[in-house]
Amino acid sequence: MSSDASASAKPQAAAAVRVDSVSMVFNAGNVNQVDALSEIDMSVAAGEFVSLIGPSGCGKSTLLRLVANLLAPTSGHVVVNGKTASQARLDQDYGMAFQQSGLFEWRSVQKNIELPLEVKGWDRARRRERSREMLELVQLSEFADHMPWQLSGGMQQRVAIARALASHPPLLLMDEPFGALDEMTREHMQAELLRICSAADTTVVFVTHSIPEAVYLSDRVVVMSPRPGRITDIVAVDLGGTRDEDTREAGVFFEKITQVREGLRGTGLGDGQRGIEDR
Amino acid sequence: MTAAGTTRRVWSVLWPPVLFGAVFLLVWELIVIVFDIKKFLLPAPSAIFAAFVDRTSEIWDAILVTGTNALIGLTVGMVFGVAMAFLLMRFRILNDITTPLAIALNAVPIIVLVPVFNNMFSITSQTPRRLMVTLVVYFIVLVNVAKGLRQVSPTHLELMRSYAASPSTILVKTRIPNAVPYLFTALKIAAPIAVITAFVAEYFGGSQDGLGYAITSNVSASRTDASWAYVVGACMLGLAFYLAAVGLEKVTTPQQRVTT
Repeated sequence: MSSDASASAKPQAAAAVRVDSVSMVFNAGNVNQVDALSEIDMSVAAGEFVSLIGPSGCGKSTLLRLVANLLAPTSGHVVVNGKTASQARLDQDYGMAFQQSGLFEWRSVQKNIELPLEVKGWDRARRRERSREMLELVQLSEFADHMPWQLSGGMQQRVAIARALASHPPLLLMDEPFGALDEMTREHMQAELLRICSAADTTVVFVTHSIPEAVYLSDRVVVMSPRPGRITDIVAVDLGGTRDEDTREAGVFFEKITQVREGLRGTGLGDGQRGIEDR
Repeated sequence: MTAAGTTRRVWSVLWPPVLFGAVFLLVWELIVIVFDIKKFLLPAPSAIFAAFVDRTSEIWDAILVTGTNALIGLTVGMVFGVAMAFLLMRFRILNDITTPLAIALNAVPIIVLVPVFNNMFSITSQTPRRLMVTLVVYFIVLVNVAKGLRQVSPTHLELMRSYAASPSTILVKTRIPNAVPYLFTALKIAAPIAVITAFVAEYFGGSQDGLGYAITSNVSASRTDASWAYVVGACMLGLAFYLAAVGLEKVTTPQQRVTT
């Protein structure tokens, strides 16, 4: 592990997520047994933005689903917001967004954003007020009554983020949310995400394939390697001040990209990294 | 969109098939005249039209009989099909038992059951035909709706679980809305098939007041033009069922993309 791991950009005092020696084995004892994760330790401070990066099959999505309690670990503990992961899920302590926006195509944009609030049992007026607020946040107010298929891919993804944040969860879990977008939209969405999350003071755990995306967005980049999935490096990214379009041109940005890339090379797969976008 | 614009758009879609239909009828008429084809072999469209006009009220009565059979069978089959789809989703074990059975039944041309059904009821009863339609519709609806309830996007399911939604909430907010388009697909497939079944079932005997019986009896009496007139009535009935199914879909799901 690199020395940067301890030099985190933010204090570690209040951990939003703590993962203690977690291992995950699928089909245990079977011929097709998969050791997805092995002895993972990770901590995410409140308000921190942490990216998980690594080649396909390194278990980064699995790790995210363990935090979300959509999967239960084979061994080890996951603590979210000081509670067990399952209690955190029951309390809707996190919002989630995926590569597919996952909008419900029979619901309008506004009704999509209100869905988690409906499940929570909020009354109509309160839901409406909150969905208006969220639409304003993602700058889609005039599209409240549109159906999902009437929106572009980037707009759909913004609705998905608004939905994930609708109940004002302290934690946002994202699994390659911009993976299906073109490069221009993607950069725009990254800037939007930073703006939205700093406005709501949200902790983010973000899974990605893209090194520049991870560096641009994160306070720390967690580098993972496959078979079995484990953490090989943690790169602290202190780009100084606010991140904007100039950040992408800055020397320190490229330094950090190089550092993450070297971390990935150290995973023993050589230069021909599969599933990593180097652009 | 303006009303005039809509009319123009509809017409631009409509004129090629209308023109083709008109040319087809014209060529048919000419062939019958030029080759002097006998009326009992193939009557000209004009003769069929005359026969149709001649028997409008009889044809209408026959349409009502067959149409009622089809409608009752369609409704009952849908109700049972939807109910069974829910049961299959709720109880996995039921699904494991019935799926191979359903596949096996699907391979059987179930229309051959009509004579058996006829034997079970009195000769003038419409019940065997309605039973037949019910059975055919039931399987179409069951297969489609069960698929719609089950094939929910994995992302939707993960989202609902991340909201800590209960199974009944997932059913109401995810599975049922997901199955609605499948139900209408089933309805659009089943509606014309219900008519076909109601009407073919009459070929196997039983009471003598429907379209199917009228066609066969007129053919055997060499009144070919009359039997063709009943065929026209059957076409109208099938079309009416299909359009009603499409219309119902448009009315109930105004904001979704309607696929035809």
